[in-house]
Amino acid sequence: MAAKRGTKTKPVTRNVKPKAAPRKAKASRLKARPSPGGAKTRGRATPSRAANKEAIREKIVKAALSLFQTKGFDATTTKAIARKAGIAEGTVFNYFKSKDDIALHFFEQEVDQAMAAVRDNPRLKKAPLEEKLFALVHAQLEYLAPYENFIGAAMIHALKPSSPLGPFSHRAMELRHRYLRFVEELIEESIPKKQNALGFLAPEVFWIYYMGALLYWLYDTSEGKQHTLAFLDRSLSMGAAMLRQGGRYGR
Amino acid sequence: MADKTDTPIRRVFSLANVGVGVAGSYLGYALQSAFLDQPARNAKLKATHKRAARRMADEMQTLRGAAMKLGQTLSLQTGTLPDETLAELATLQMSAPPMHPSLVRAQFKQSLGAEPEEIFKHFEPQPFAAASLGQVHHATTRAGEQVAVKIQYPGIRQSLVNDFKMFRTLSKPAQASGHIPKGAIDEVEQQIISETDYQREADNIDFFHKHLAPLRFVQVPQVLRKYSSDKVLTMSLMKGEHLDDFLARRPSQKLRNQLGENLFELFYFQVLEVQALHADPHWGNYLFTKDARIALVDFGCAKYMSKATVSYLRRGFLFPGSTGSPEFARLLEKYYEDEGRELPPATRKALIRFAENFYRKVYPPDAVQDKPFDFGDPQFLKDFLIASKDLFRTKGVLSELIFMVRAEMGMYQTLHRLKARVHTSRIVRKYLN
Repeated sequence: MAAKRGTKTKPVTRNVKPKAAPRKAKASRLKARPSPGGAKTRGRATPSRAANKEAIREKIVKAALSLFQTKGFDATTTKAIARKAGIAEGTVFNYFKSKDDIALHFFEQEVDQAMAAVRDNPRLKKAPLEEKLFALVHAQLEYLAPYENFIGAAMIHALKPSSPLGPFSHRAMELRHRYLRFVEELIEESIPKKQNALGFLAPEVFWIYYMGALLYWLYDTSEGKQHTLAFLDRSLSMGAAMLRQGGRYGR
Repeated sequence: MADKTDTPIRRVFSLANVGVGVAGSYLGYALQSAFLDQPARNAKLKATHKRAARRMADEMQTLRGAAMKLGQTLSLQTGTLPDETLAELATLQMSAPPMHPSLVRAQFKQSLGAEPEEIFKHFEPQPFAAASLGQVHHATTRAGEQVAVKIQYPGIRQSLVNDFKMFRTLSKPAQASGHIPKGAIDEVEQQIISETDYQREADNIDFFHKHLAPLRFVQVPQVLRKYSSDKVLTMSLMKGEHLDDFLARRPSQKLRNQLGENLFELFYFQVLEVQALHADPHWGNYLFTKDARIALVDFGCAKYMSKATVSYLRRGFLFPGSTGSPEFARLLEKYYEDEGRELPPATRKALIRFAENFYRKVYPPDAVQDKPFDFGDPQFLKDFLIASKDLFRTKGVLSELIFMVRAEMGMYQTLHRLKARVHTSRIVRKYLN
């Protein structure tokens, strides 16, 4: 998969650009329309306005996700999302360029809350690497759990080269880097970089692992996804042990 | 060894190693024994058993749940495993690789819908004991009650099923050599799989809590159903020490005798009155206190006995005449007839032999001979092992009887370690009428 990525990157990005451009233009046109109405609120206190904006954004995301989950990602229109959220379709475009954009926003939230769950948990400060990584992945899966159907669909959707969810879109890439930087930090807290068996590759390997874990979780039919818990525990224990072993034998 | 590099793949290799290692040990013995005379051969065999057992214990230590439990259960079957093997396997009793606090929390929340800290006033993230299918944590409820919270390792049921599949294949040499009897693995599997349902265990605890109430020296926990599920079991905390810790304090002979009597009475009260046993009476399932009280822990494999079996046990115990008499033989025949089974002469002989060689000595039927039996005598345990092995090797012994003998084995081993002197017949007699 990694090899494929390397060779395909260039043509794909070229493909994406022309498609993305008109979409952007459309969005900005749409954005322009309601702004005169928004001008009235401009005079109000900014915090409450920001909070209000945030509330609407969340409303849209919630409506969209519930439709993605029940109707499917492809069958869901922005119109339906607007109706479900109880707002005008135009307002949706004020906040998001497309439904892909909404999905991406959701994944950003997912990653941010999982990183915060690990960082802000004092109990994990002195925990071994495998436990921190377990807590991270588990927090992600817990966040994704209510939208399982959608996650499966999104993974397929992301395989389309033009998809903003795919590995080649700028924003998705940015998100992945942020996530992997965090993983790298966690690894370095436990194992000094020079001693870890995979060196700078470790976070990249973790990304592939994470994708595997996500698939395992999606296809786990055991009650309460018990097998995923066991899988995460065992595989992360093994992974952490392997990283440590590298240090022992030297490089 | 307890390095947590445990993965399905490693488990396969690990189990394969057990198979190869154990079979290899015996093969080595077979080759060498051709050149040794009898006494040297016996010594060699003992060493071989020990080596095989140590290898098995080592390997099983690295596996979670399944093999752990299998090792434990096999460790009770002294009749089928040599006693050297047993001694090595006994080290498995209380240790299993732990779950880290994040996994504990995830498993708890998955099962009860909230994190332990949200439910309890205090929850100790480090376990105080390893249960073979999971681990046990101290906690305090909001009402201030001290409880023990047993949490199951996730996905244990499936991994047990898989491990048994592998163990069946890998233990072929041991099965062929008769070190593991044919039906034993099925029986152990069925029993172990049912142990993964903590809901069932909670029902067992309630049952014994009610029925053992007449025995003042016994403590049975109470289940807190609100905080329990099929994978989490919350119960009141039992006080007392495990046998090793208890013995480390060098308890007086008087205290050991009293505990022995209590343990013995508990056993026969359960068999003859309650008609059920709370667990294998292995010492790992009891806690002992300084005032000779016994707390019961682990109700996962409670066994309920049939009325018919208990009624025949009543008639067979302390049988007034000779066990070689036609009356005793008729009693056995009638028991088999009621169970719809035929009693082959060889089986009848083996049962009579067992009654004569073992029960007669430990349980003198004559009320005048009311001396306590000394379970500290090492010869007694050897006799029992030889007699029970003879019985296990005999075809056609009812599984209820095998179970009974196995259960007694656990009790005798505990009494032996206590070096207790017990008024065996007097106690049994109390419950025969």
